[in-house]
Amino acid sequence: MNNRKYYLYLFLLLIFNWSTSQKNNSCVKTINPSKVVVAGGSITEILYFLNLEEKIVGIDVTSNFPEETKEIQSIGYVRNLSSEGILSLEPTLVLGEDDMGPPTTINQINESGIDLRIISESQNIDGIIYKIMCIGSIMGKEYETENIINNQILNQANELKNIQKKNNLKDLNIMLVLSMQPSSIIVAGNNTSGNSFIKMLGAKNIFDSFEGWKSVSKESIIKKNPDYILIPEKNLHKNSEVEKLSEDLMFKNTNAGKKGNFIFEDGMAMLGFGPRTILSALKIAKIINE
Amino acid sequence: MNKSYFFNLKSKQKIIILVLIFTFLFSLITGFWNGSYDLEIIKFFKNELDNIQQFVLKKIRFPRVILAAFVGSSLALSGACLQGLFRNPLADPGLIGVSSGAALGAAFSIVLGSEIIVGGYLKTFLLPLSAILGSVVVIVLLSIITNGFKNSNITYIILAGIAINSLAGVGIGFLTYISDDAELRGLSFWSMGSFEGISWNLIIPSIIMILITTLWTLTFARKLDIIQLGENDAHRLGVNIRKLKINIIISSSIIVGVSTSLVGMIGFVGLVVPHLVRLLGGSNHNYLLIASILFGSSLMIIADLISRTIIQPAQLPVGLITSAIGAPFFLWLIYNMKRK
Repeated sequence: MNNRKYYLYLFLLLIFNWSTSQKNNSCVKTINPSKVVVAGGSITEILYFLNLEEKIVGIDVTSNFPEETKEIQSIGYVRNLSSEGILSLEPTLVLGEDDMGPPTTINQINESGIDLRIISESQNIDGIIYKIMCIGSIMGKEYETENIINNQILNQANELKNIQKKNNLKDLNIMLVLSMQPSSIIVAGNNTSGNSFIKMLGAKNIFDSFEGWKSVSKESIIKKNPDYILIPEKNLHKNSEVEKLSEDLMFKNTNAGKKGNFIFEDGMAMLGFGPRTILSALKIAKIINE
Repeated sequence: MNKSYFFNLKSKQKIIILVLIFTFLFSLITGFWNGSYDLEIIKFFKNELDNIQQFVLKKIRFPRVILAAFVGSSLALSGACLQGLFRNPLADPGLIGVSSGAALGAAFSIVLGSEIIVGGYLKTFLLPLSAILGSVVVIVLLSIITNGFKNSNITYIILAGIAINSLAGVGIGFLTYISDDAELRGLSFWSMGSFEGISWNLIIPSIIMILITTLWTLTFARKLDIIQLGENDAHRLGVNIRKLKINIIISSSIIVGVSTSLVGMIGFVGLVVPHLVRLLGGSNHNYLLIASILFGSSLMIIADLISRTIIQPAQLPVGLITSAIGAPFFLWLIYNMKRK
């Protein structure tokens, strides 16, 4: 089954390459992948995942995993890149995500003749697999990438599906918190990476009625009554203990607060939609399963 | 503008202007010379650069530095004119609402632009055009409120400007609220200013507009001197105050609107440069305007140079640099002034 799925992806990849007229979106092998500048955390993660980190000469500030990325030259924030800065690293290939910008900088890099690829993202398991395949193919490592996907990613994805089948996660109400200040709690609404992550878990986002990351009132949290609350680990410094959170009046009156169902996870692992995201979803599904 | 423009200056002012011309040329060359990409500019004249080096120099660095010069001069010149017209040292393009009008226009295009489907070429110009439209709307509004600037009271215009500013603030605030993550970042970077991604086809129309308007503005110098005596006296001396007001507000709006539309909000230059120049050499406008232009463009070129090299290959927003250089220097000047 795994193999069949792989061929399906390969087929889709080929179709995609034929159908697309913009060279920026293609996954065709690049001529010289020796010096790569990356604008997008998940791409850096994938290059490390595929053991291609030696080729990286520059990364943006969202590329902060793994730890070793700190040693690499930073090209700044992914939406505010400098064309001369990128060219000064003399890359042979520039890999970016959809949000790479500003557009004028992208035009200038294109004009300079350097191979620039923008890897489109769809925030689900298939999207992650596609992204890994595409990068592997651009870098000329289709075979190795295929092995890694078969041996690791597809296994994790299947395991996640099995848990979802066994337990009915569909009825679980989940809330994903981005930041928690006393005055405002910002949560994932519709069309956010947080919403996509909850979907990947197979559960229901209680705040999918509005778009984007927005702050919500304490009353509405009590009213929506989440069963589980996901919190990026970065916010741990203030509300570190689960007990403390459960005692908070706001959470006390929710299912999550009553049972102490607070799950802490690395924010970039959950929301980056690189190889770690599936693993992260699997981990959380297992916690819920217990 | 005639020949006597320069020769009427005091000798101290002549020296200051000459020094500023050299400063300007120096910063221009320094701006061309340096950047994150390593290349020797001398080789450009010997035609020894390879393709990519030529590309960096001609298509990225040259337009960027030249636009920085024009934007710096625009902001400083309009600051000098508005301070003169309002006889108020706090006047700057932000005061009458032009900048916030442009900001509102830009915010519209950043947040809602993707929903209005426009193809290819127009897309590059969508942000600048809507920013200019924003500042034009402000001018029209200002003109309606002041009854075609007939209402000659300066305080009235400034109050109207403040009201327009907060109105634009509401619009920007609302757009910020409905924006998604990417648009929000776009807005916040725009409000700190940047010369990144500037190309020739984007700047040539703007440069021509700024150049023509600047030359036109320089002809107001004498009238601005007279208006310092007070509006009544100036009127008796034959200055058409209403016309002068309309002319200066319109010319400032053009140069500030065009500059802001391309590079975003860059603070402090419009306010501080005219002051510095005045402290250095005096306040007659035939000196003040020229010196502000030269000083403003030199400052902006250097600020942009710092912005693109200090954390290379990344870059800092240039608005941060101008304020970081300008504010302490200004404080030091004020401190010295008081001690004297």
